[in-house]
Amino acid sequence: MPIVELAEVTKAYESKVAVDHLSFSIEAGQMFGLLGPNGAGKTSSIRMMMGITLPDSGSIHLFGEPFQRASLRRVGYLPEERGLYKKMKVIEQLIFFGQLHGLHAADARQRATDWARRLEIEEALQKKTEELSKGMQQKIQFIGTLLHDPALIIMDEPFSGLDPVNAKLLEQTLLTLKDQGKAIIFSTHRMDQVEKLCDSICLIHQGRAVLSGRMREIKSRYERNHVIVEFEGSDSFLRSSEIAEAKNFSGHAEIRLKPHGDAQKLLHEASAAATIYRFELVEPSLEEIFIQTVGGKVDA
Amino acid sequence: MHNILLIARREYLEQVRGRAFKMTTIGLPVIFALVVGVSYLSSIGLGANRHVAVASNDPVLAAQIRHNLLGDKQAKAQVIVAAPATPQDRALLLSKVEDGTLDGLLWVETAPGQTPAASYTSQSAGDFMTTARVRSALNHALLDERLTTNGMQQSAADALVEGASVTTYQARKDGAVVRTSAEASFWKGYVMAILLSMTTMLYGMNVARSIIQEKTSRIFEVMLSITRPSDLLAGKLIGVGAVGLTQIAIWLVAAAAILISPFASAVLTGEFAVHLSWVEAILFPVYFLLGYLLYSSLFAGLAATCETEQELQMYMPLAAAPTWLSFALILVVINDSNSVWSVAASFFPPTAPVIMFLRMAAEIPPAWQFAVSIGLLLLSIWGVLWISARLYRIGILMYGKRATLPELLRWLRYS
Repeated sequence: MPIVELAEVTKAYESKVAVDHLSFSIEAGQMFGLLGPNGAGKTSSIRMMMGITLPDSGSIHLFGEPFQRASLRRVGYLPEERGLYKKMKVIEQLIFFGQLHGLHAADARQRATDWARRLEIEEALQKKTEELSKGMQQKIQFIGTLLHDPALIIMDEPFSGLDPVNAKLLEQTLLTLKDQGKAIIFSTHRMDQVEKLCDSICLIHQGRAVLSGRMREIKSRYERNHVIVEFEGSDSFLRSSEIAEAKNFSGHAEIRLKPHGDAQKLLHEASAAATIYRFELVEPSLEEIFIQTVGGKVDA
Repeated sequence: MHNILLIARREYLEQVRGRAFKMTTIGLPVIFALVVGVSYLSSIGLGANRHVAVASNDPVLAAQIRHNLLGDKQAKAQVIVAAPATPQDRALLLSKVEDGTLDGLLWVETAPGQTPAASYTSQSAGDFMTTARVRSALNHALLDERLTTNGMQQSAADALVEGASVTTYQARKDGAVVRTSAEASFWKGYVMAILLSMTTMLYGMNVARSIIQEKTSRIFEVMLSITRPSDLLAGKLIGVGAVGLTQIAIWLVAAAAILISPFASAVLTGEFAVHLSWVEAILFPVYFLLGYLLYSSLFAGLAATCETEQELQMYMPLAAAPTWLSFALILVVINDSNSVWSVAASFFPPTAPVIMFLRMAAEIPPAWQFAVSIGLLLLSIWGVLWISARLYRIGILMYGKRATLPELLRWLRYS
């Protein structure tokens, strides 16, 4: 049974169609990337899943049933436009969120303390939100989203504004939650994170799904026509007739071959001109697939 | 309902623990006591200690005017008389008024069989108290003179024109007759009406400010993923309203403690006699709550359409308009609390809370008028809430741009 299922969902604001016949589904234990440039319709889609707005047409099922507000108690949502009550103590705020999700105050307090320990911010619990750094506030928001142990977790740009250490800590936490069988929707325009974390993606452009499916399956659709070369010596081989485009970063070159370009021939030319330390034929990155698919019209 | 109560509790605790609550709980009554005290004290000496000249071709009349002016104890006037006076005397006295040696000159010219011609010249055109005293002294003197000219004894004429002091009592519907004073009733009604309008506006604006702050802090989307917008709005209105009721309860308890203290019973007697009835004590929180709900529902909707507190300030005249209107009617209501204007204003929802309290200060209106006034308030709260809930639901998720009027009208049409 899919945890989330959107079927032909459409939403328009005034004359602008924000989401246009969008369909996808997410299973338990799956990390799902909802991708797209700014204004593509990601947040509009999520807001409909959360019942904040209603679709004009199409259907949304949560946990196998048509959308109902009661299902939201099993959902944890971290929106992109997120905030906390500034004058409130962190622990009181987390208990408040927990209670709104149906937890008892004592239970919410215990869970908040456990999570704070896990995310290394125990000392922040007794402070007011306005006394915390932006990164710490983001961790508190993260805890608020997970406190009630939701089966479906929706995170809109969860790593924006986080330093690498904390981003890593949250990444690890999300992977652990995925292993525990939670379904996770991860909305972002940061392709590197999606590539690293997600099993499946749906790429939205102008409200429409232009690419969706399992990550491996999508990547396999694209030719392995990218080469990474690390070398010492002449870079004359970068002018080979097999190459469509090359970027040279002083001994590290990223090359895109022409359609049906011969990688073996390029290797031969490169080894004749320079000492080769690494020659790797790689599949295109998600970013390249993304740009190819949306035709470079990305304002993200 | 569970979520509404949780949201209301959070709102209540945050505001009650805040510095603003403590400051206004103590500060507002102190400021009002100061304002009322200063107004009263300054009115005591209004138009007193004036140095006035009375000039006339009739020495008897001039002397009688002087006698009357000196007889007014509150005026504490110094009066010189020039009689019989010539036009040259008048010019000399006028020059003294111009250089400030004299505060004013009363010139009275009489001729047999004609109405006397009188003029009063002073440096200040706004000194209405002295002008009124001079006019009264002149009229009494003329009356006195006519009575004696027609054969009445001087002592009998003096006794006739002397005013009698009137002690005022109020007959209550419960049969009790209590000594009161129009002045004390006026001040009581005035203070209660100001407190009511201030608290109503204060807490109505508190709701608006809190919505703008939450919009700025971007908490709404998190909250909307847990609860309905209507629950959020209801929780906020209940929470902030409870803060206002708490403050009013503190004031009422403090007022009751002061009124039953030996100090108050010694001071608040005679013309200062103040009677706070149970009806007033019960209806004050009721009208606060109704007025607050009307204001706060309106401002909740408007605040949701604003981006900053500065934008919200644009709507301040709208918030203050009912208060201005109410206080513009204060003399009408205090003088005749049952006039058509008074009754209509106490039915008109935006002015009803304040006007009803001003009316109650003079006389407790009939029960049916309370019922109509409260009924109309409830009806208008429902209507405003219906509109505001629609604006609120959409406005709280709109960032970055001020909504235009056509957009607001479109939001109202969304189901």
